Amino acid sequence: MNLRLILFCYLFLLQSLAFGQTVLSGRILDEKGLPLPGVNILLKGSFDGTTSDLEGEFEFSTEKGGMQVLVFRLMGYKTLEIPVAVEEESVQIGDQELIESITDMSGVTISAGAMEASDEKKSVVLRPLDIVTTPSAVGDIVGALQTLPGTSAVGNDGRLFVRGGDASEVGIYIDGLRVANAYGTTAGNVPTRTRFNPNLFKGTFFSTGGYSAEYGQALSSALALNTKDLFIRDQGDLSLMSVGGGYSHTLANEEQSITLTGNYFDLSPYQGLVKQDFDFERAPFGWDLEVAAQKKLGKDGLLKVLGRTESGGMKIRQPEPVQEAAAPLIDLRNQYSYAQSNWSKISPKGWTWFLGASISANSDEIGFDSIQTTRDNKLAHLKASTIRDFSDRVSMKLGVEHFINNYAEGLPLQGLERNFQDGQTFLYTEWDWYLSKKIVVRGGLRGGLSTLSKEKWLDPRVSFAYQVSKHGQVSLAAGKFSQAPLENYRVLYNDLRNTQADHLILNYFWTKDGITFRAEAFHKEYAELVRFEGVPMAPVNLRNEGNGFARGFDLFFRDRQTLKNTDYWVTYSFVDSKRSFEQFGTQVQPGFAPKHNLSVVVKHFVTSLKSQLGASLAVNDGYAYTNPNLPGEMNSKTPGFQNLSLSWSYLPRPNLIIHGAITNVLGRENIFGYDFSSTPNAQGIYESRAIGQPAPRFLFLGIFLTLSKDKDANQLNNL
Amino acid sequence: MKILNLIFVFFISLSAFSQSNGAFETAVKSQIQAMGQIDNPESAQEVSNSFLRISEVESGEWLPLYYAALTKIETAFRFDVDKDAYFDEAIELVQKAREISPNNSELTALHGYALMGKVSVDPVSRGQNLSPQVMQLYGTAINQDRANPRAVVLMAQMELGMAEFFGQGPEKACGMARMADELFRKESQKVDENYLLPTWGANTAKALIENCQQ
Repeated sequence: MNLRLILFCYLFLLQSLAFGQTVLSGRILDEKGLPLPGVNILLKGSFDGTTSDLEGEFEFSTEKGGMQVLVFRLMGYKTLEIPVAVEEESVQIGDQELIESITDMSGVTISAGAMEASDEKKSVVLRPLDIVTTPSAVGDIVGALQTLPGTSAVGNDGRLFVRGGDASEVGIYIDGLRVANAYGTTAGNVPTRTRFNPNLFKGTFFSTGGYSAEYGQALSSALALNTKDLFIRDQGDLSLMSVGGGYSHTLANEEQSITLTGNYFDLSPYQGLVKQDFDFERAPFGWDLEVAAQKKLGKDGLLKVLGRTESGGMKIRQPEPVQEAAAPLIDLRNQYSYAQSNWSKISPKGWTWFLGASISANSDEIGFDSIQTTRDNKLAHLKASTIRDFSDRVSMKLGVEHFINNYAEGLPLQGLERNFQDGQTFLYTEWDWYLSKKIVVRGGLRGGLSTLSKEKWLDPRVSFAYQVSKHGQVSLAAGKFSQAPLENYRVLYNDLRNTQADHLILNYFWTKDGITFRAEAFHKEYAELVRFEGVPMAPVNLRNEGNGFARGFDLFFRDRQTLKNTDYWVTYSFVDSKRSFEQFGTQVQPGFAPKHNLSVVVKHFVTSLKSQLGASLAVNDGYAYTNPNLPGEMNSKTPGFQNLSLSWSYLPRPNLIIHGAITNVLGRENIFGYDFSSTPNAQGIYESRAIGQPAPRFLFLGIFLTLSKDKDANQLNNL
Repeated sequence: MKILNLIFVFFISLSAFSQSNGAFETAVKSQIQAMGQIDNPESAQEVSNSFLRISEVESGEWLPLYYAALTKIETAFRFDVDKDAYFDEAIELVQKAREISPNNSELTALHGYALMGKVSVDPVSRGQNLSPQVMQLYGTAINQDRANPRAVVLMAQMELGMAEFFGQGPEKACGMARMADELFRKESQKVDENYLLPTWGANTAKALIENCQQ
């Protein structure tokens, strides 16, 4: 053994002594100073480490020496790294604190006005499946939303009416892009439906007020529908219904998927079997073709395309209050197309990007006896937006949008037409600021300008949420909302300015283990509403002179926990609304805003029958109308509306569903208002005719079969 | 000087040991053993934390992430914890492991297992949407490695659940369980004391087969 080796060994030993076992110990706490168990504590670059115990204390030994980095990791908390000098036999580390990170799941969400249908998020009121299994909805998205707080069922219309607002005050979006004419064109008090099939969408965001600066051109409500991402397998879906049928085929792989759908419906055979109270000369009919494609672009990019075209019509005789000759014939033909494409990308550095464009084109040809009319509406929407998360506490949304709206209406036999084109540009920004996991403040601004009305405007919005208990939270929202008047008014008087509404909303939301309670009070102030003389079909002297208010509260309770295999929700909405608008010179209760609205939905799964049974009940206290035989406007009220609907979904095999539903089982003769003769009769009385339902009941029967290699797939989402 | 020599050799080997892959294998092996001793959520957290510590150093290895995720999933199934959070965390770990080892049948199957856990939290509302995804993951896992018994036994389990729900015969599920059992038998022949790859699931296959014979 030579000296060199001895020296080497000696030095090595020395080094080892210096690097000998060191015991590190300490305590880890949360922001409140409470012990945090389960934290992964490690020395960077080594296996050495441990897990904190129930008292938040830890102790472990290491062979390492010198300056090291001690890391504390726990899911849901920000990772903490501290330098430590590992020099002595034991190192005592002072108390350390881990700060909770705020995520979508842990942070409070603003629930004022908002209701979400989703499988994932926690502030969910409805699940996507509920939309298709609510009996009164018969597969219509809006039909299901009418069981939610803040809405009113208007049975002769079918569209969505929110908190004293008319149906045009609800803005409908697919993947953030506006959809014009989202409802089928109808006439003669035949209720309409949403054009889009619920199985296109993975989630629905429905706001009854105080919504994000991202949404404009809607005084009362925003309805955002989000389409599905990639489909996962090839399959064919066949549907046979009492009113028609369709086939849908999906081709999918890991990177892309495409679904092609075709449907045809015709109510003639049905109306041949079930007597109708309305005098249909030609039952409603139509076809549609749809394509939906999704493609992954890069690691976090997704491109979506949706296209739809449809055509339909009906002929109906609409009796007049005083029957003189044959009732006038309304002959309706409709063509509609919608196309959109959007690209989104989430980049890991906290940026989310979105680019999208959509176009809606609607064309109606309506004949009133010998008078032919046409109506064409085109809306293009271009949008670019980005979300930037500066940290888990501050995020920003920024977007720019441009709309091009063309509208024309005409009398082709007379060669008359009037039209307008409007270009609208919007810029919006919204900031979310989490003061803590329990408090969030959101501020937004939306600015817009119109080339037609030459108007510029700025809508500020603000909201706030505070988690008051483990399961409960309070939110407050306020803001200004602007909307261009209806196209058929703007075409008459291009200078009409925006109609306006101010919202103030206070919300309490409580949810725990399948039980949800929601209470909301609101006040809405309307200004600049359009008023005119004459009747809505032929208005004169149009001006922004109307105003009014809507105030009230609504309650929602849902329980899918207490009773086995049973899910039910109860909604009560109170709306006190008065406005001077359209032909009304004084502030009146609108015909579409019943005061008291109650809705109950119950669903029960019977395992032995392999069936889901459903019942839904909707009740309100009646619709206001003007009786010209009495003094004043909106001086009368119809009897209350009632509708009890039942449904039965039977799943005999995993890929087969048989679904039946009956609306208005009790055959209640609902009345939505009255048509009055324009001149009084010999006794000086204006004669009237009740506006009722096409038939007391509607029966639906459908068989849905899914064909795929995977025999367990079914179409529950298509009902 | 002999003692000094010995000490010298000892230290050399110790330091070599702690640097080489031998340390990785020993660490993983000792934690696999610790997995068997888990009797509460706290001990489970210790084990998964240990696996995560190993993965921080051995950033090119998918196995520690796999076992950390598996521990999370089993904890969620066994103990009264925030199940969704555990399954979500497991899925996140699997995704991370996938970046290290793409097209790995074991990881694909584990992803399906975690997603199946999410279905079990709220089968009524999630089943329709997630079950097909679970089946697809199991199918992909089988295609990625036809000798992976876990992919087969998990699929058998899922098939059985669906057959029961729709009141159909368990024949398909039973056939798959027997196939899985055979794959487990083949796998067990490869296993020695240095074997680190997943071996769990044989008991599930046995239980399914027993159920089939009733």
